Amino acid sequence: MGLSAHVLAALEGIVGRDGIVATPEGRMTYECDMHTFYKGAPDVVVLPTRAEQVQEIARLCRAAAVPIVPRGSGTGLIGGAMAPRGGVMVGMNRMASILEVDLPNRCATVQPGLINLWLSNAVHDRGWFFAPDPSSQMVSSIGGNVSTNAGGPHCLKYGITTNHVLGLEVVTGQGEMVRLGGKTVDGPGYDLTGVVVGSEGTFGLVTAVTVRLTHLPEAVKTVLAAFRTIVEASETVSAIIASGMIPAALEMLDEAIIRAINAGTGAGYPEDAGAVLLIELDGPRAEVETQAQRAAALCRERGALSVSVARDEAERALLWKGRKEAAGAVGRLTAAYLLQDAVVPRSKLPQIMREVVAIGERYGLLIANVFHAGDGNLHPMICYDDRRPDELGRAKEANEALLRACIALGGSVTGEHGIGLDKCDSLSLQYADADLNFMYRLRGVFDPDRLMNPGKLLPAHPACGEAFRPARPSLPVGTWV
Amino acid sequence: MSVTARTLGAALAEIVGRDGVSAEPAARAAAAVDGHEPRWVVRPRAVEDAARVLALAHDEKLAVAPRGRGTAMTLGPPPARLDVVLDLAGLDAILEHNPEDMTATVQAGVTAGALATRLAAHRQALPLDPPGWSERTVGGIAATGASGPLRLRYGTMRDLLLGVRFVQADGVLTWGGARVVKSVTGYDVPKLLVGSLGTLALIVELTLRLHPLPEAEATCLVSMASLDDAARLAAALVDSTLQPSRLEMLDAAALTASGLPAAAAGLAISFGSVEPAVRAQEAAVMTAAGRAARVETMGPAFWRTYDRMLAGTGATCLRITTLASRTAATLAEARAALAGADGVVTTACAPLGVLRIAVGPADPGLLAGAVERLRAFVAADAGSVVIERADADLRARVDPWGTVAPAALELMRALKLELDPQRTLNPGRFVGAI
Repeated sequence: MGLSAHVLAALEGIVGRDGIVATPEGRMTYECDMHTFYKGAPDVVVLPTRAEQVQEIARLCRAAAVPIVPRGSGTGLIGGAMAPRGGVMVGMNRMASILEVDLPNRCATVQPGLINLWLSNAVHDRGWFFAPDPSSQMVSSIGGNVSTNAGGPHCLKYGITTNHVLGLEVVTGQGEMVRLGGKTVDGPGYDLTGVVVGSEGTFGLVTAVTVRLTHLPEAVKTVLAAFRTIVEASETVSAIIASGMIPAALEMLDEAIIRAINAGTGAGYPEDAGAVLLIELDGPRAEVETQAQRAAALCRERGALSVSVARDEAERALLWKGRKEAAGAVGRLTAAYLLQDAVVPRSKLPQIMREVVAIGERYGLLIANVFHAGDGNLHPMICYDDRRPDELGRAKEANEALLRACIALGGSVTGEHGIGLDKCDSLSLQYADADLNFMYRLRGVFDPDRLMNPGKLLPAHPACGEAFRPARPSLPVGTWV
Repeated sequence: MSVTARTLGAALAEIVGRDGVSAEPAARAAAAVDGHEPRWVVRPRAVEDAARVLALAHDEKLAVAPRGRGTAMTLGPPPARLDVVLDLAGLDAILEHNPEDMTATVQAGVTAGALATRLAAHRQALPLDPPGWSERTVGGIAATGASGPLRLRYGTMRDLLLGVRFVQADGVLTWGGARVVKSVTGYDVPKLLVGSLGTLALIVELTLRLHPLPEAEATCLVSMASLDDAARLAAALVDSTLQPSRLEMLDAAALTASGLPAAAAGLAISFGSVEPAVRAQEAAVMTAAGRAARVETMGPAFWRTYDRMLAGTGATCLRITTLASRTAATLAEARAALAGADGVVTTACAPLGVLRIAVGPADPGLLAGAVERLRAFVAADAGSVVIERADADLRARVDPWGTVAPAALELMRALKLELDPQRTLNPGRFVGAI
């Protein structure tokens, strides 16, 4: 226990005894997010019910130089909502209300602990939804989505969380409560809302979020195509986009996943398929009908083994069934896996998929793939058996090799999961020292004491330190004064 | 003083070449910002040279105003200091276009028009159309956060800028973001720079998300009996499954200025999709408009004409943001506040509550009063009134940005202090005299 009795008592004074989790068993529940490699229980968990309490907590922690870690539902995949340095964890689960729905202005304001899907459910009957749909949307919180700038299958067309956040209420690292953006667009000044989204709790604690709501489309059409090889399927992805349509979602499943799904409840994918593409189009009915026919024709032209177009909602649900069950089906393939979230330019999909296969062979590991093909966002699952010595080591090496291959093709370290503890050392693959230093300084503006979710996102790297000075360009010498 | 000036000029010439620096009175006068003549106009031909110019300016405590095509130089208050106008028109290379990935990387000085021509060959576009867009630079559109009718469907630069190369105030070349369409690696630095008016860093290279050009496009103009009617129809269309690319509200003066048939108000609505979907949506508008309204199909030149009208109208231009539901009321208030002025033309992207008020030559006192009145009017809805274009006199009387909430402004000032402590970049031209 690193917290003084004084701090504990003061926290209890803020949130009440009922809002404190301080027992070892209780704190253990909060020691990790869904990336269970990384463990670190906070010294105490506090569960505020109001933004003012959050501000008081932040001020108290700042005065006592205690780290603060925000947490929503704990469904992150990066070692983000856990406390490697102890300190105070602020659980947002009791701040889970919809504060306002304003349909004439197409927006809603919610508390950070609200479950993503609950917002869509609340406005669905009136014809609206909240577009960001991470696969965890049934359990993940909107505050967590904001923190990691979460994506999802449908962000290909609709954009990721940041494209739907209009405003935030934030308690900064300095303990100030700041309102950024809001229901009107283009407020004068820097786009602080845009910078706070995706900052993974290292700038402060989000206490309210104003989001854009999107009208439900007139029609949705889903096409499923099976291919002999994943390379063929990857080439088809590019062909579909090149034909001038942007599907709402464009998902890919590989052979290993198909086998695992077929072995379970069974989505009935062709047994000889090496890859399945799930293409979803939504929008005005006439647009969707035309584009679905075109997408299906493109798949056939490119040698698809089978192409099905859902005729109604029931058939559509059936086509999605396999995709939705993919993560669970992996359990039939392996006891444990490492999940990668790197991105490549879409046109490099065929190349990177060959590379994925080669890396799997080189390290003697099964790599299963189910991912957002439309935007080049890979999710290879590197399967290993943790009872066998050295398999985890090999899996980590394969993971690193994959990441480097993606970056070498002009890609990005993470497409939608974020950095957390998991990928902070990979940041330097994508960014030079000057770039890292810029981010380090940016963070210091919001959180000068660097107590907000410390150790996350930015690496322990010389460029992320006070003494670092990036190289400046050379200047002509001796010509003046 | 003159000795220092000459030798600094020589240092600049060493960086960008003798023909890249002008100190002649004519060149300086032409580059003046609100009457502040720079000591030098510097035109780098490479991003590395732009970085070296900033490094020199930083060391010598010179103030630098970046410039693209100079179409938005009256945005913000007059500069507090000005030594160098950094003209980026020479950084006009389209570095990469990957049609399959629908991304492009360009230097900041490329005009949106030149880029559009290149992309159109692949039936793609950067769907940003602020007034006069084709002559504006992509870097300038990013720095000013400018937007136009297409933002309804595609968003603004903030939604399309994937990665950015920039020069920090002390000359350090830096990169933020990614070259792929989806990335959450590190802080979202591109968003920090969009709309920052070059006060935090100099944008030199942009990686952009592109969109396919729609196969078919159609525009219809609905003539209405009042602005309120137009607002009601706009609201009905927003609360429907139609997906318009643009939905602009025009008052009577805007209709006339665009050479359109006279009416009290008009809604110009465009759809881009496959042919049958465009037709179906057009038909849906006709149904929604009802029998009382006149609906006409416009030719393909409509949006070019509208753009020319927006870019060319108004000695003074105000940009008002308010709640979408308050668009018509705010337009009416603007007309009332400017009752004593001539040439008032108002348009709005109604579904987003973004209004544009153009005013002919008018008494600065009257204009200043109208701005204050409108600011008071939209304050309850957390709206804003920004003077986008006006002579320096008006912008000296009233802060062209308006006020920013104190806590947010404090963060903005802290950002400026951290990233440009010597105030090398555009001092005095941003909110709160940043």
